[in-house]
Amino acid sequence: MKKVISFSLLLVGILAILFACQDHLMNPGTGGGTTGPGSLTGGPGMGGGMGSGVDIASSLTVTATMSTTASTNSSCATSTGLAKVVCLAQAFEATLSSTQLSTVQLAYNLTNAQKWSNLPAGLSARYGVNLASLSTAQLAAFRNLMVAVLSLNNSNEGYDEMMGNLVADNVLYYAGGGTTYGAGNFYVSILGTPSTTGLWELLFTGHHYTQPYTFNGPAGSGYTPAFRGVEPTSVVSNTATGQSYQSMEQERVAFAAMLTGLSSTEQATAKLSGTYSDLVLGPGQDWKFPTAKSGLQVGTLSAARQALVLNAIKLYVNDLDATTAATVLAKYTSELANTYVAYSGGTSVTSQNDYIRIDGPSIWIEFSYQGGVIIRDTPHPHSVWRDRTTDYGGTK
Amino acid sequence: MVFTALFLAVTLTSPALAHPMPNSVVLLNVHANRIDAELQIPLVELQSAWGHAVNDSSAGLIARLGPQLRQYLKTHIRPQSPDGRFWTVSVGELAVSETQNPINGVYRELTAQVQMIPPRMDLPRMDLPGADTPTNADVRQFTFYYDVVLHQVVTHKILVSVRQDWERGQLAEAEPVQVGTISLDIVNNRILPLPVNLESGSAWTGFKAMVKLGVQHIAEGTDHLLFLLVLLLPAPLLVASGSIRRWGRFGGVRYGLRRLLLIVTAFTVGHSVTLLLGSLNWIRLPSQPVEVLIAVSILVSAIHAVRPVFPGREAWVASGFGLIHGLAFAGTLANLQLNAGPMALSILGFNLGIELMQLFVIALTIPWLMLLSRTPAYHYVQVGGAVLAGVAALAWIVERITGQSNGLTRAVEQVVVYAPYVLLCLALLAVYLTWSISQHQQNSTSHTNAS
Repeated sequence: MKKVISFSLLLVGILAILFACQDHLMNPGTGGGTTGPGSLTGGPGMGGGMGSGVDIASSLTVTATMSTTASTNSSCATSTGLAKVVCLAQAFEATLSSTQLSTVQLAYNLTNAQKWSNLPAGLSARYGVNLASLSTAQLAAFRNLMVAVLSLNNSNEGYDEMMGNLVADNVLYYAGGGTTYGAGNFYVSILGTPSTTGLWELLFTGHHYTQPYTFNGPAGSGYTPAFRGVEPTSVVSNTATGQSYQSMEQERVAFAAMLTGLSSTEQATAKLSGTYSDLVLGPGQDWKFPTAKSGLQVGTLSAARQALVLNAIKLYVNDLDATTAATVLAKYTSELANTYVAYSGGTSVTSQNDYIRIDGPSIWIEFSYQGGVIIRDTPHPHSVWRDRTTDYGGTK
Repeated sequence: MVFTALFLAVTLTSPALAHPMPNSVVLLNVHANRIDAELQIPLVELQSAWGHAVNDSSAGLIARLGPQLRQYLKTHIRPQSPDGRFWTVSVGELAVSETQNPINGVYRELTAQVQMIPPRMDLPRMDLPGADTPTNADVRQFTFYYDVVLHQVVTHKILVSVRQDWERGQLAEAEPVQVGTISLDIVNNRILPLPVNLESGSAWTGFKAMVKLGVQHIAEGTDHLLFLLVLLLPAPLLVASGSIRRWGRFGGVRYGLRRLLLIVTAFTVGHSVTLLLGSLNWIRLPSQPVEVLIAVSILVSAIHAVRPVFPGREAWVASGFGLIHGLAFAGTLANLQLNAGPMALSILGFNLGIELMQLFVIALTIPWLMLLSRTPAYHYVQVGGAVLAGVAALAWIVERITGQSNGLTRAVEQVVVYAPYVLLCLALLAVYLTWSISQHQQNSTSHTNAS
């Protein structure tokens, strides 16, 4: 009897120790958590997340829904300018669930604004919600907003250029890119509370396309750093509408016209000695504009050749809605004489490492023709438009 | 190895923001009087900088352009001591391999082994005795003028990391420590050299790291420990007399300890010999057969634990298999490619670490085995332990021959985590049985007294 009791006591002891240790072993494993922007910034939930892709059906739904440019919003119709953008941003936010809203509506600061990249969101996480997660009504409200801030009925420019990029990314899904690619993987976030007086930003970013709009009431606005690129460079077709796009071809052709239009002496002045396999001021290279300008001063050129430079600039600025574009273009035009163009590689812009730069008192545009990751052996463009004073609305 | 390369490629890529173009990587192996560097240069960028279609036709590249490539690299790698003198740079082995990361996809790169030696401080030093003997130059402070690819491709980036620094106790097993990035200073449109200032270390730090590595090696090396423990299982027992050899009763504490000490010492002597020879590269066996033989050694000692196969000759067997285990230990050291001094300290430290961990585990286990071996229950512990070890050994043999893990070896990995609990149960069982036997004896004694 005594034996049995002592043996059971022993067993209980062993089990107790076992369980105690087990608990101890398990603890370090738990904890952790989801990644998101710094907690100081107002605590948004999940960021874009890495690797989690979107099925192609959702991406095709996105491009189909985004294909029309007719606004379905009537409540903001009477407003104009910034008031209209604020009204449409609020209307978009009003369609979101509280969870979605807490992901989309973040604090305004440079760290949050810098969360963009040329890479797909699966390789470089974004903040906000992706388009695949939006319902038809929510997507329509987002579309109404983008239709108001981009230029319309301008083939392969403005809203059309953005659509061309979304459609091209769907093509990359089929070209072997998989679910990391496709229109559903593009993210929208709103940093700061939309208002006609305060500082806030609308940021739309995905693979090869980033367009920020920073508004600061009467203090002015900024529309850069804006990233443009595309792969494939060939014509792609919207399966919902049959519309064709080649979103960056006009830019490439305009740069080639600008360079080949120069005299050989001018070309020699414009030619950079280094080789550029990528952009210099791509994502993450903020406020690093070179102190000295390189290349050829536009003011020394004939009027016709100056016009060719301006043509190239227009293909970036005129992506914005007409009123905004006119203001920005006026500034760049007035500074055109003190703007420099430079290039590396060939003047016909057909080969890898062909590179063009436009660097002015305010404007900074780079265009780089470079090797692709999904589609091999065919160069594709990366391009960035920055502004020496109004990048991120001037936030440094 | 492929996995490691992949891992490096991923971890050494700068924060994923842009870069469709792959970076160069420079991995420094810091020695007492020189730095060995491994360069990883993406061919697509090298071609843009140097031409020669190195990426478009990379097959046979080294045979075709080896000398020119070496000359090119030498021109663009120029470490400089604080006194302004440049180091001697020589380019060794070149190789082309394919690598990949999620951002750049698959690409080819050139790997180059480069040796960088600072100039000797051979100026007369009147303040020191033996003034004309050159002192060791400092490898820890230099200005790294490195612009391979970057001299032409201004968008290129070079990540410089220390992969091994023995005197700082950093071994190649750990993740490389980034020193800095060499890239275009965009604002001023210039390429600046990278100032390198490595904290100084000492032989003592290196030695300690090696002891730790030895301890870690045994702590993680289930197979080494299992071999020794299983061999020790029947150590306290006598061989029973009879026509069929089998293990008999407990042979006494003194007998058990003597045999145990003999076996452990023999194993240590065995693996120390080959560790020394292997580390100095005097013998080198391919690792696969060595690993298979280690698994076989466990199987043999497991069989011996069930039925005495080589009674009385355990020490010889232990030293013999020790030779094989030592070869596996040596591989780790040989890979460090150290100079004679640090290598001697490493062998000593590493072996000491192995010994410490071995003794620690033995000290934790043997008392309970000794206690248990005096009880009838020991037969089950001994046979049960041997059978489990035998099964694990068979699974390892299969795994190491085929090169593929199987369900059993994966199970072993998971079960090993619970070894401390098994030990605890063993200890409690030993204490309990010993106590109950002594109770029983007391009872019977008092009973006898009473009558």
